[in-house]
Amino acid sequence: MRPRSCRVAAAALHNADMHCLGTRAFYKAARASVPALLIYCAVSNTARGDWVVATAASLSHDDNVGDARGYSDQVSDFSTSGTLSLLQLIPVGESYSLIAGGDLSGQLYDHLSGLRNASIDGLLSLKKKWGLGAFAAWSRAQVSVARSDYEDGYRDATVYRAALEVGKRVDERWNLGVKYTFERRVAAPGAGEIYGVSSDAFSQAGRSFTANAQYALSDRLSLSLGSLLRHGDVVSTTLGEGQSYPLSDLKAAAPDPTFGPAAYAYRLDGTTYAVRLGADYSLTEHSRIGGGFQRFDTHARGGNNYTNSVPQLTWRYQF
Amino acid sequence: MLKKIMALVSLALCCALVQASEIHAVVKDQKGKAVADAVILVTPADPRNALRARAPAAAVDQVDKQFVPYVKPIFVGSTIRFPNSDNIRHQVYSFSPAKKFELPLYSGTDAPPVMFDKPGVVVLGCNIHDWMIGYIYVSETPFFAKTGPLGTAVINDLPAGEYTVRIWHPSMDRAEESTSQRLILTADTPGLAEWQIGLKPNIRVPRVSGEATATYP
Repeated sequence: MRPRSCRVAAAALHNADMHCLGTRAFYKAARASVPALLIYCAVSNTARGDWVVATAASLSHDDNVGDARGYSDQVSDFSTSGTLSLLQLIPVGESYSLIAGGDLSGQLYDHLSGLRNASIDGLLSLKKKWGLGAFAAWSRAQVSVARSDYEDGYRDATVYRAALEVGKRVDERWNLGVKYTFERRVAAPGAGEIYGVSSDAFSQAGRSFTANAQYALSDRLSLSLGSLLRHGDVVSTTLGEGQSYPLSDLKAAAPDPTFGPAAYAYRLDGTTYAVRLGADYSLTEHSRIGGGFQRFDTHARGGNNYTNSVPQLTWRYQF
Repeated sequence: MLKKIMALVSLALCCALVQASEIHAVVKDQKGKAVADAVILVTPADPRNALRARAPAAAVDQVDKQFVPYVKPIFVGSTIRFPNSDNIRHQVYSFSPAKKFELPLYSGTDAPPVMFDKPGVVVLGCNIHDWMIGYIYVSETPFFAKTGPLGTAVINDLPAGEYTVRIWHPSMDRAEESTSQRLILTADTPGLAEWQIGLKPNIRVPRVSGEATATYP
């Protein structure tokens, strides 16, 4: 039997009640308390470790914010973001160090106001250095919990990440690293299913593997090359005209009015390949400015393939 | 009377012979810019002139997660203390052949002093803060100095005589031996030694990490 268009399912879901407010508020508070607890743990250890306070600001442009396949569905936009990080590094013995802390961040979009968001992120990581000195190999295990609140509240999500990372500074110029990350984003589910398709379109899970290399061209300028392979859920938003998906390819679908009154978000299984080229310039000992270009190429189930090109400028200051 | 005059002249001559002289050193880079933190090493041709060895107490501090001073020249056999003025712990180490040592995590002035009994360059690091780097130059000669921000240094209290003068800098693009100059000092004429050296880029582990990572939004 040939799968029917999801448009029917989407229209039905549009009218469904997506929120169970009491339960949601409880879980929201509980999830938000996890990062706060991690930050508290960090604060209570001030006597043992050292604080790292850092800020970052960035400007980026995404030529396909909604990860849409069809050209007519693609929406581009500029976004600016700011982050304040408060971390504490606590040496544990001679070769281990614990990092605990969190980020407060915000992101503003130029046109897509519903995507404006604020996040609080708590993280805990344990780093082991396999030897003494700056050129010793190191490994790190990290867990983090973030809560993101969007202007369009149906995108609000709690993001759990667990990562394993290995790196080595080969010499003064070369710095190499690889990282495996498991990520789970839990958003408020919509109400029920229709034709067997969930309305929980903004919850995602994925695994990614990244490899990065950095090369210091001079005492101030460094170049970087990064690559990413990710497999898991992707969310593709169409504007409501000309694009449809077979039901069998969908994991979930939900209205996505951020992109327009008839827009729908579809959760699919997909694999993303990305490459990033960047350059960083050290302004002072404490600050750097950098530019990068990242290209994503996603192959989702049912031939739903799309790309993103994201140039970005970033300024960082570490106290 | 004649005897008295002869005695005074002899005394004056003796004073002149042992009167100290000095060397003024100037170090510039290829663009003529002053080079700070260059170590000036003065070796007397007559080993007897090196007997006036000094062994001043020395220290390398840790301030704002940096070694202070960045370059510290000392005479071989000297002892250095490593106080930690930061309110966090540091773990100081060196892999250098001239002195291998490690001071486990400590704060304040808890670390025991370290004796440097072999001449050469000792590169310091902190195992917690990888960008921290410092240099100790362990000198065979007791006559040395370090250039300041103006690229100048004065080595005084030198007996008159013949000297070899050379320099060392962490970023110098040539061997230390190739900078040797010969100077003859007299009591009333200070020596002047000038160098123009090339400096390699001082590539260090950055304190602020750059954006090297490909990330999924």
